[in-house]
Amino acid sequence: MTPATTVPSAMPALSGASGGTLPPLFTTAVTATAVLGCLAYLAAAARLRARGDAWPYGRDALFCAGGVVLVAGVAEPWGAAPPFTAHMLTHLCVGMVAPLLLVLGRPLTLTLRTAPVPVRRVLVALTRSRWAALPVLPPVAALLDFGGLWLLYRTPLLSVSHHNPWLNTAVHVHILLAGLAFSFGLLALDPVRHRPGFGLRAAVLLAAGTAHAVLAKSLYAAGPPGTSFGAADLHLASQVMYYGGDAVELALAAVVACRWYRAEGRALRRARRAGRPAPCGTTTAAVTRS
Amino acid sequence: MYGKEVRMRRTRTVVSGVLTGIGTAAFIDETVFHQLLHWHHFYDKSTTDVGLVSDGLFHAGSWLAMVAGLVLYADVRRRGTLVPRAWWGGLCLGLGGFQLYDGTFQHKGLGIHQIRYGVDLAPYDWTWNGIAVLLLVAGALLLVRASRTPPRTTSSHTAPTATSRNR
Repeated sequence: MTPATTVPSAMPALSGASGGTLPPLFTTAVTATAVLGCLAYLAAAARLRARGDAWPYGRDALFCAGGVVLVAGVAEPWGAAPPFTAHMLTHLCVGMVAPLLLVLGRPLTLTLRTAPVPVRRVLVALTRSRWAALPVLPPVAALLDFGGLWLLYRTPLLSVSHHNPWLNTAVHVHILLAGLAFSFGLLALDPVRHRPGFGLRAAVLLAAGTAHAVLAKSLYAAGPPGTSFGAADLHLASQVMYYGGDAVELALAAVVACRWYRAEGRALRRARRAGRPAPCGTTTAAVTRS
Repeated sequence: MYGKEVRMRRTRTVVSGVLTGIGTAAFIDETVFHQLLHWHHFYDKSTTDVGLVSDGLFHAGSWLAMVAGLVLYADVRRRGTLVPRAWWGGLCLGLGGFQLYDGTFQHKGLGIHQIRYGVDLAPYDWTWNGIAVLLLVAGALLLVRASRTPPRTTSSHTAPTATSRNR
């Protein structure tokens, strides 16, 4: 962190009625959905274990942690944080950390194993459909997620959305859904129509990480158009976005890398059993490209 | 010299070393010079747009390089095909390469930020880039020596993982 030049100037453009910047209806809806989702998840996992199936407790913990982060994000408990920094912390929770944790809990796999048969049929059809596969294709999901961020911070969208609760809600719903699609598509833990290769996933992660870092650093110098946040606020928010993004990128990369390691291990064991020399390089291009 | 498969294995060792080196150099740069010493600045007003993209690319890429380098290391070890000297050679190349790129192209060419502010830069720049060149030379020497050493195993087939793990 640089020694921030404290310039408490320019009144912040956004300040909600009760200190928060999100519409109360949105906060309530997200909180209720998160709590119900976590309860449903725990109930389903318990049912699965009761009938003798294995389901690691770590997944329950990850999913519920995702719910907690989501609720914390929309509750905005940032108190004295300056407005843009508070907005950025919410964005980090709702759009990046919560989706990652929720996806790590493999909710779709759990649903497919516990839901009533008609529901399962619908879900299986959905996971096989071309249209449902499109938004979770890593490049498309990255474009939705990071393209959306560029729109939000480099057009007047942010300042306009703070005078229009519905637009504000739509922006946050988009941040959450795009974050979920990105984590879901990139990690590919749940069944999908076409599992992308490791090379594509590494390339997309690199491009997304770059786009995020560049946007974060550019916010240090110039805030979103139409807003007038203080310089100290912009500097702090920019660094929250930059380093917060790093942490999530590192976690995503670690999960993808572990999946690759396991896939290589399986290929190796298969080859040894078959008495062939160990294959090497089948999936190498995947991880080495960075 | 030793056949395609052996070369491929060695390549994987070297690639692992280089990636880990890049990741380590970036990590040291971030923790020591940005966070601990506060010599580097997060954003310097003289940074160009290309500089921002280059910085973002290397910043995001170095984390991926670290993860990929370590997981590749685990993989070559598991296969029992690790060539330690080649790995260290790769590591030095990664460290030196990143530092030289950072010290010349990013600091000087793109003006992302300088090594330190309010001092005469020349000794800092010479030390910075000198260390980078030394690392590159050391890496190259190690790789040459590694390529002269016969491989410990010719195929992972004849080398059960257990033996290599006990080393």
